[in-house]
Parts: sequence; C-alpha cells; structure tokens
Amino acid sequence: MNLRGMIWLALEGLLRKKGRNFLTTSGVFIGVFALTLIVSLGQGLSRAVTSTVSGTDNLRQVGLTGGFGIELSNDPSEIEIAGEMDDARRERLRRAAVNRRQIRQVAGRRANAIDDRTITELSKLPHVESIAPVIVERYEMKLNGHESPATLSYGVDVGRRRYADRVIAGSYFSGPAAPEAIVHEYLLYRWGMLTDGDYAAVIGRKVKLKTIQTELTPEQQAPPMLQDFMRDLTDEERKAMNTLLPKLLKQLGQTTQRRAAEREFTVVGVLREQMPGDPFNVIEDGNAVQADLFLPQETARELFLASAVNIELGYPRALVTVTDAEFAPEVEQALRDKGYTAFSVASALKQIESVLLMITVSISFLTGIALIVSTLGIVNTMITSVIERTREIGIFKAVGATNGQVMTVFLCESALIGLVGGLLGLALAALAMIPGDLLAVRLINEKAAIPFDQPVFVLPLWLMVAGPALGTGTAILAAILPARRAARIDPVRALRHD
Amino acid sequence: MTLVTARELWREYSQGGVAALAGVSLDIQTGEFVALLGRSGSGKSTLLNLLGGLDRPTRGRILVAERDLATLGARELSLYRRTTVGFIFQSFNLVPTLPAWENVALPLVFAGVPRVQRRRAALEMLDKVGLGARGDHRPSQMSGGEQQRVAIARALANRPRLLLCDEPTGNLDSATSAQIMALITDAHRSGASLVMVTHDPELARRHAGRILRMADGRIVEESRGGA
Repeated sequence: MNLRGMIWLALEGLLRKKGRNFLTTSGVFIGVFALTLIVSLGQGLSRAVTSTVSGTDNLRQVGLTGGFGIELSNDPSEIEIAGEMDDARRERLRRAAVNRRQIRQVAGRRANAIDDRTITELSKLPHVESIAPVIVERYEMKLNGHESPATLSYGVDVGRRRYADRVIAGSYFSGPAAPEAIVHEYLLYRWGMLTDGDYAAVIGRKVKLKTIQTELTPEQQAPPMLQDFMRDLTDEERKAMNTLLPKLLKQLGQTTQRRAAEREFTVVGVLREQMPGDPFNVIEDGNAVQADLFLPQETARELFLASAVNIELGYPRALVTVTDAEFAPEVEQALRDKGYTAFSVASALKQIESVLLMITVSISFLTGIALIVSTLGIVNTMITSVIERTREIGIFKAVGATNGQVMTVFLCESALIGLVGGLLGLALAALAMIPGDLLAVRLINEKAAIPFDQPVFVLPLWLMVAGPALGTGTAILAAILPARRAARIDPVRALRHD
Repeated sequence: MTLVTARELWREYSQGGVAALAGVSLDIQTGEFVALLGRSGSGKSTLLNLLGGLDRPTRGRILVAERDLATLGARELSLYRRTTVGFIFQSFNLVPTLPAWENVALPLVFAGVPRVQRRRAALEMLDKVGLGARGDHRPSQMSGGEQQRVAIARALANRPRLLLCDEPTGNLDSATSAQIMALITDAHRSGASLVMVTHDPELARRHAGRILRMADGRIVEESRGGA
C-alpha cells in the first residue's frame, strides 16, 4: 500500500481546517509538554543525587555500628500473658512485654560489640573486601602551652590521599603507625593561630594526649562468666551483686582495670576544612567532620586500645568495604541479620531513587489526564471530519480505495495531529528547561548547604523519542473508532450525500 | 465477447420493502455502448451501481470480466472498481479542495503510484480532455463542463474496461453536453465498453448502440440505437 499517498491526502485534509486542527493539536501539545518536563525532572534529580555520591568509594562502603542488642528471636506471637483478664488488658500487657523484650542491653556493654575478634569473623561474610575499625575518640590534649579538655581525634587510613591533599602546612603522615599527628586549622584558629608563622611554630612540636578518665562499673570489671550470670538476674539481685562485687573482686585478687593512657606525638602538619568539590566519602569521612586532631590509623588504634574501657566496649564503628557496589545492600542486610546496625549509601540511594521514581510516575499519571482529555478532543474532531467528508469518502471508494485505505487516511490524519503536537510539546519542554534549570539551581542553592550546579532537568534520547511517540500513539488510538466508521461508509449513499 | 452477464438480479431494500431491481437479466458485449432509459426510481441507477461494484445484489448473479461481483468481498470489490471500472456522475463528484490534477490522480493514489508519476499521468489525461493548462485549478474555479471533463479524465485514469456514466450531461447546457458526449464517445471508440444512464431518449438514440428502457426495476423494452 502506498502510505505516502495516504499521508498526502491526510495532510491535505488537515490543512483544510487549520484552526480546528490546531486547537486539537494543542491538547496533545500540552500533554506531551507537561509529561516531558516531569519525566525530565525525575531523571535530572535522580542523576544529580547519584552523581553527588557516586564518586570515590561511596557506593562500595557500608557503615557498621555495634548493635543495640536487639534480639533476633523477638517473635511477639511467642509471648503469652497468663492470668484471668479481659482481652483489652491482655493486649496491652502483651504489647508491653513485646516492647520490653526487644531491647536487651547489658549495662554499659553493647550486645554486639565491634572488636578485633568480631571484625575477623565478619570479614568472612561473602562479598566483604575489608573491615577497618573507625577510631574516633576524645582526649585531653596539650600542645604548645594550649590545653583542650576533650579534643576529638580521628584515625586516618594513611593510604587514602584525600587527607594528604588537604594538608596546607607541614607534611602528611610518614606511615600508618608513625607517632605523628596533624591538627585541624579550626583548632589553631580557636587558639588564635592564623598566620604561616603560627603554623610553623606548631609543626614539629609535641602534642600530648591523655585518656579521659572513665569509671568502670563493678559489673564491667567482672570476668565475662560473672557478667553472663548477672545478665539474667532480677533488678534487686543485680543491685545486691553490684554492692558485693567490689569486695568479691578484691577477694579474688583482681585489681581495678582502670588504665589511663598517655602518649606524645609530633605534629607534622595542618589540615584544612573539607570543602565542596573535595572527594567526599559519606560514610568514612562523615566520622571525621568534627575532628580537630588526626592520627595515623594504627597509632590511633594503639592509643584507643590502651584504655581498658575501650577494650571492654569495642570500637564505636567500623567501615566495611565490599568487593562491588552492587553487593552493598546485600552485605548491609547480612550485618543487620547479625544484630548490627548498618548503613550504606548504595541502599539509601536505591531508596531515594525509588521514591523519585514513584513521584515521577504518579505525577506523570496526573499529567496523563491532559493526554486523555486531548484524546477526547481528537475523537471529536475526527468524527466531525468523517461526517463532513462523507461524500469524499464515497469518491475515494468509487475510484478504488479499499476500506483499509480509507481508514489509513484518517488514522494518518490523526497521527499527524499527534506527531505535530508531540514535537511541539517536546520542543517547548526543551526550551522551558533552560529557565527552569536556572530557577531550580537558584532555589536549591538558597536552601542547600552544599553548592549545586547540576542540571535539574535531563532530557535523555529515549524521552525525546518517547514524548512525540506517545502523542502520536494516543492520537492514533483516538482515531481508530472514527476511522473505522469512515471505512464502513456505504459508497452509494455517500455519493448522494450533500 | 461478453463482458457483463447478469441473471435475475434483485436489489431489495429492507425485508419486504420495495425492490429497486426486480429480476433483471442482461448481457453486454465488449465494446458495446448501452443506454439505460427510464424515469427516476425505475432502477437504472441501482443497476449501474451493481455493475460498478458499489453495491451488491440481494439475489442473482452478476459476472463482469469473469468476476462474480455478488460473491466478492469488500476488498476485492474495491480492487475491481480500481482496475476495471470508471465512474462519471451527474454531479461530477470532485474533491473540492484538491486541484484538478490531484482529482484526476486520485485512483492512482490508491493504486500505489508514486506522486511524480501520478502528476505526469494526470496532466496527460487532462490534456486529452482539453484542460492541459488547468491542472492546478480547483473545481470551484471551473465551469460545470470543465468539472465534468476533469471527472472524465479521472474515470479514464486507470484505463477501465467498463465506463459507467450516470446522467453525465444532466447538469449541463446543450452546447457543453455535446462536448462532454464527444469525449465519452471518444473513450468508447478507444475500446471501453459503456453503460450510460439517462432520461433523455434523444441522447440515448444518438450515441448508444442498444437502448434498454427500465420501469419498476425491470427492463421493459430493448431497442437499437442510432450509433
């Protein structure tokens, strides 16, 4: 079948009623315009979020925190409330029991501590590449006549160059276990030190760090066997035990494990603040944002473990690196299943993206109403056109047009309406994105903490094709019934039609 | 050689209603010029529509060029109209918004002829009917006679074996009618078989080889024409 000839006839038919067909086209145009804009926005936002965090090793890292002792077997259906009572009270008490049952934490000690033993164990989980403890600790600090009662320190993985790049005076660590320290520029600023001379005066000096004294409860000092025993005591019994324990421990000859550590390191450099544009690891560097003092990882670890309390409580956090970003959510879940608290950017990103997708899809549905309305307009226009051109249809048939060909002419007519509307909608949406981007970036920058200069609207190739295609497709669907009606017209009657 | 064989053709509208055709049988030889005479309502236009494949008989057989039109499907009837017949109507039936050449080329659109060839063929046909210079004019810019000439050019565009004319001069003055009849007889001479419906006995006598008079859906009288 010669489609081009039908398209010519269709085009000629359309141009005959320019005003009416333009109005019909505008329905499709508005629908495709709005839809293109919405989907572009969804695409743009999703891409912006991804590109913000996908740098460095963000997606391969899982943050691990000691569990809060949530028991895994807290199946509420197992709980039974005995005694005679009405259902409402039984339900209340059952609820209370569930709530109390979930959290079971031994005073001062996490049920799932992160220590060297558990790190070795968790490292055997599938897809785990490495697990490193995160050493964040406060110390009493003395430097160059200045004192600080609780300076936050952070153990730096010396292999990572991100920190080396931020050293603005002096040098970086010479090794992972070097007795060296780097101070933050903000600490020096608080001490009134701002000039290069001030910085030079600090570098090479000794910094003294001392563990902040923390008392251990008698229970924490008890041998593990005794601690396990005490875990299941009633409150009253435990109170009695705590009174007795110091005497008991003394009797057993166990001395108090209150070991305060004190070390001296050489200051080798000054670190500047993290700025937008610096490579940033949400999980890893998130631990260091408030730190004023930086130590090489091994040095920090040795100091940390010099305190008995720390040995008892374990590391506050650990950084899990997985072999590939796609396994991050899986590893995250495995850690949770073991009773730890875990967080990964990869799974957070997945959630954000699914929320964005949901929003995009639901708004698109609303926008789709515009297209549906335009469909009704097309149906109306096409029916009118078919009635007006009844005689013409008769002529077509008399000169040998098949029913299919008559139908094709009208479908082409409608498809042209959809295509033109779709292309106009796409073009105008693309134009509207220019001021839209400027406005959105300005609005985001007013509110957001980090500078943002990415496009908010992204128009991928598939959307450029899909927009007009959707317009055309809807228009063709809308014309099916009118076109069928045209095809079924009886030529004898049509030729007598006025 | 017989081109048309019709036997006991009936065309009834709605059950028990009037029969527009009530048992018509006729044969038409290749190259014949047959005139159908009769008052309006006598069934002559209905017979013409059946011959042209625009309509189907409710009963009877109608064979044209070895095809049984009563049994053809819608698509095959379309192909039959496209390849075998050409229509000329009293009211011209041109598409008012298309220029003359595109009206003439309309059958070629549905035959799948490319545009360039369509235009060349259409202008050639228009030249034959004396309108070679007016291909780009719209029907509204033409006189009745000129419009009918465009319609004749269109009817001949597919080189049909059977030309069907329904009161072709009914809307024209006598001078113009003569020109139109001259073109129609030309077409007949160059090989087309012709069936012309008219209510003008004089016109029929002058041009047709055979005259069939119809009344109440039947052929009531057959006579020889002057041609």
